[in-house]
Amino acid sequence: MNNREKSSSLAEIRGNFGRLGGVKLGKIKHNPIVKKLGFNRIILCCVLVLMYVLFCFTGKNFAGLPRILSALNYVYFLGFLSLGVTFVIGTGGIDFSIGPVMFCAALVSGFCLTSHGMPVLLCLLISILVGTMFGIFNGYLVSYWSVPPFIVSMASMNIAKGVASVFTKTQSVSWPQGVDANGWFRKLIKVGDFPVGLVIFLVFAVICSVILNKTRAGRYILSLGSNKEAVRLSGVNVRKWEMLAYVICGTMAGIAAIFFVAAYTTVQPGYGDTYNNEAIAGCVMGGTSMAGGLASIGGTVIGVFIIALLQEGILALGFTKDYQLIITGLIVIGAVYADVVARRRRN
Amino acid sequence: MNKVTQIPVSNRKTTLSKLGGQKFIVLLVVILLFLFFSVVSPDFRKYTTVMSILDYSYYITLMAIGVTFPLITGGVDLSIGTGLICYSLAGGYLIVHCGWPVGAGMAVSVLFGVVIGALNGFLVAVMNLPPFLATLCTCMITRGVGSLCSGRFGISWPTTGAPGSWFRNIFKITVNGTKVPIGFLWVLLLVILMAFILNHTKIGRYTLAIGSNKEATILTGINVKFYHIMAYVISGLFAGLASIAYSAVFSTVQPGTGAGFELEAIGGAIIGGVSASGGVGSIEGSLLGVFVICLLKTGLPYIGLQANWQQIVTGLVLIGAVLVDIIKKKRKAV
Amino acid sequence: MGEVILKMKEISKAFPGVQALDKVDFEVKRGEVHALMGENGAGKSTLMKVLTGIYAKDSGTITFEGKEVEFHNTRDAQKAGIVIVHQELNMLGHLTVAQNIFIGREFKKGIRIDDRKMNEETKKLFDRLHIDIEPTETMSNLTVGKQQMCEIAKAISHDAKVIVFDEPSAALTETEIEELFKIIRDLRKQQIGIVYISHRMDEIKVITDRVTVMRDGCYVGTLITEECTKDDIINMMVGRVIYENPKEKSMVAEDAPVVLKVEHLNAGKMVRDVSFELRKGEILGFSGLMGAGRTETARAIFGADAKESGDIYVNGQKVEINSPEEAVKCGIGYLSEDRKRYGIVVHKTVAENSTMACLGDYVRGLFINKKAERNISQDYVNSLATKTPGVDELVVNLSGGNQQKVVIAKWLIRDCDILIFDEPTRGIDVGAKNEIYKLMNRLASEGKSIIMISSEMTEILRMSDRIVVMCEGKKTGEISIEEASQESIMNMATREIG
Repeated sequence: MNNREKSSSLAEIRGNFGRLGGVKLGKIKHNPIVKKLGFNRIILCCVLVLMYVLFCFTGKNFAGLPRILSALNYVYFLGFLSLGVTFVIGTGGIDFSIGPVMFCAALVSGFCLTSHGMPVLLCLLISILVGTMFGIFNGYLVSYWSVPPFIVSMASMNIAKGVASVFTKTQSVSWPQGVDANGWFRKLIKVGDFPVGLVIFLVFAVICSVILNKTRAGRYILSLGSNKEAVRLSGVNVRKWEMLAYVICGTMAGIAAIFFVAAYTTVQPGYGDTYNNEAIAGCVMGGTSMAGGLASIGGTVIGVFIIALLQEGILALGFTKDYQLIITGLIVIGAVYADVVARRRRN
Repeated sequence: MNKVTQIPVSNRKTTLSKLGGQKFIVLLVVILLFLFFSVVSPDFRKYTTVMSILDYSYYITLMAIGVTFPLITGGVDLSIGTGLICYSLAGGYLIVHCGWPVGAGMAVSVLFGVVIGALNGFLVAVMNLPPFLATLCTCMITRGVGSLCSGRFGISWPTTGAPGSWFRNIFKITVNGTKVPIGFLWVLLLVILMAFILNHTKIGRYTLAIGSNKEATILTGINVKFYHIMAYVISGLFAGLASIAYSAVFSTVQPGTGAGFELEAIGGAIIGGVSASGGVGSIEGSLLGVFVICLLKTGLPYIGLQANWQQIVTGLVLIGAVLVDIIKKKRKAV
Repeated sequence: MGEVILKMKEISKAFPGVQALDKVDFEVKRGEVHALMGENGAGKSTLMKVLTGIYAKDSGTITFEGKEVEFHNTRDAQKAGIVIVHQELNMLGHLTVAQNIFIGREFKKGIRIDDRKMNEETKKLFDRLHIDIEPTETMSNLTVGKQQMCEIAKAISHDAKVIVFDEPSAALTETEIEELFKIIRDLRKQQIGIVYISHRMDEIKVITDRVTVMRDGCYVGTLITEECTKDDIINMMVGRVIYENPKEKSMVAEDAPVVLKVEHLNAGKMVRDVSFELRKGEILGFSGLMGAGRTETARAIFGADAKESGDIYVNGQKVEINSPEEAVKCGIGYLSEDRKRYGIVVHKTVAENSTMACLGDYVRGLFINKKAERNISQDYVNSLATKTPGVDELVVNLSGGNQQKVVIAKWLIRDCDILIFDEPTRGIDVGAKNEIYKLMNRLASEGKSIIMISSEMTEILRMSDRIVVMCEGKKTGEISIEEASQESIMNMATREIG
């Protein structure tokens, strides 16, 4: 009863709001260009710009290229994590092992580079491979054995941390600097002041978007997120496609590891779990539904920019990293709640 | 005729399941693990090792008792690990830097746990967020808050001998030079108390009911939101109690740690027979399950594996325990 | 029969887009069994949900024991003495029978729940009702019928003055229905008012005193059961005389080849040793009561559930089907009885749903050829006369009948030769029903073979060329349409199996 009253009053408020905005809001929403781009995504872009302007006015030395480049460093690795986890959330699952898996990939491959002297290119491939292995592990357990995704995530998060620590004997690993002979891989993110990484990231985003919207894999991944049994009864091998989503996610975590070390050089074992939340935050803010079935790569990209800018902005305003954790946590709660409300309204 | 022969069969089944098939097996595993480590490593047999296993076990057991409740509702509480550190830092800060009496600091720790538990409950039961996401967020938030509380420095609760160190004796007292693990007694008492609450009071009954079929429970007119929140409050309360056990056993509490503790507690509970899909579970089982984890944690270094192997093994054991649960259910369905 | 205990007057309730109840009147007397009838969607369940406080009414009054009342939840209604036994079971599977019956009002000793007293009380209650169930048994170990008995016992234990039975017999076996009727007669003697919602005409005649009929959310009328005939009730329900000719003879050619042969199929309790043949161009009706194992048989053939043993031959070739994927490869399509859960993907468009089963054919290189997808979907929207604003509309926005057509289109685009239609017209309005019938006849004449599972006798007799009857997981008979009659089918569907 309580609930009903609440929702009806909510509806009323919404109704009033609609009336206040009147015809205008409706018109904007139904404008073909706006429809194509997505109303929510346009709003998100506005939020992004507003945030930047706000930080420029309030933060110390926020305006200018260095801050942007620094925020971009954050965008790269977080972006790859977010792109990957978008597929998993699209199936209605979750993977919050991606942060530690990324660290594990960076540590294992970095250890191969620094302690075994393997060629850089091979190490980068190892990094991707490690991520993929975790993706296969997670995906296999979730899709073929129906283990709840959060249990699998929890387990593989710790396995990733453990493997990384065991492999590196609990030592941190430093990848070569840009000036070193082996430092060429850093050009992946920046040549001079030109952000190559941004181009690579956007290319990957486009690829992901194409996979999600234009291929069989994407169609099945989103469909099974919406109604798995119906897709199975259509004669589709749902296990295979569900597993694929986790494998994509793991591979993306492996790629994210490369961009992480290219930006930040040193990796310590035992960490990385804070990035889970940020990656999921970017994804959910961008309009991907936690219940599965609805996902938007474009939204995820904007969401990642917002999160990265926020991290940078919080530091620029003179707050410590701790505030980042708290604020990101609150943002995820807000974004997921918005999703819950939107779903309730749809039904 | 037919009926007469049938009744004893079904009775035997229920008595066996009442004894707790799975609990019995887990108990066996605990004993076998202990024997195995004792045989392989002479050092393991020492009294001090047993003491250190128990020292480790207190806070994990307390967390496991608490998290059993949200798990039974079909949810999970991932915030207990970082939460524990956060509560301990907050209480410790007040004691060490603000000169609060130890008792008051402890009360603050526990209260803090209850508040975060209530927050989790609100997010899950009222706002309908997925439990793992809601508690993942509070996990991050408590990590940040803990770090802020202590100004990013580690906090040392009063050490043995220092004024106000009486709280360390809650878990370990020295009688005639030998240390007596009295904490185990408290843990046992709490297990009995919570087992009583789970099986014989409204809170427990409705927790099981929510995990069994939430919609049906709502239709019976029970205030489901309240009892759903209570499950998380209990989880938070016990994370608060665990923070005291942690502060009493270890000398320093470092901000930014604690991630991974929840895995040990949740893993213990699931090994002990709590179903990952809710509706089934027992406190005694969770206690036994935690001992499997603690034995592995302390035992592995004695057979020559680095401490970090324990993280990997715990992860795999958790997956194994869930798989057993899933396979069992599949068999039952056929 | 005593005085009127419950009176609902001019109850109205609207949902977005639907007037679910429009000034409905309804009353129950003490010691009366009052049937509430109407087609699916006539508003029976909504009316009862308004009564028990699950929905708030928009207007109208409810008078109970002479006082005007308004309940805000089921608990309020229970306290007043109005209890509902739901169509879906509301069981807490992990708790015991006694714990279920007393959930929400446990006996307490201090803060302790007194389980022993609860068990004793349950035992007493069961003895009174002649129910033979152990109170300490875990609920999920009981059969559906026994669970239903517990649910009824729970309702009675509330000291109810009015009990609403919402299709109580759907999941019960014959003997269990007998027991249920015995209990209901008992309750009637105790001056309790009973509302009995059911679709089974014969039950209505046996057990009820009066019948109230609803149609499209409106009150149609109330009859005294003894004074009316089946046809009277049916006429009120549909608003016209049903005139549906049963099919007179099989349309299948004498020499039509067998396209599907199932031999000795076993899968769980519900499918025991089922064998049958399906011929080209045939509509094979599967009849039987609820829970006879027809859906389970279909799912086992389709590979949706695991089977234990049995052979399946498609076009004379033995095939191994262990998943829907393999079934579809063999050219079998399955239209589920539960469209929402197993048929459509709500977040996807008509076009996307249509190609779900054969997306591979619409992939060019790596990408889905959306133009071809839309074209084929449009073709089938046209040929099946699906009412949709366009193929890019989300299926969730379509009506039930049109959603069903989208699912049918999915299998036709896949070019399946063997189609299993499980309750194809459930929850679909009369007009759309006829279209689906026409469509099935057309498909059969085009050489597709159809297995049609249906619980509606008229539908079975109207559509089938041959009829297989099942009862409790076994095939109990097979009969050609020429020989079939309601009586002969019902006889086989209720046959006692030793």
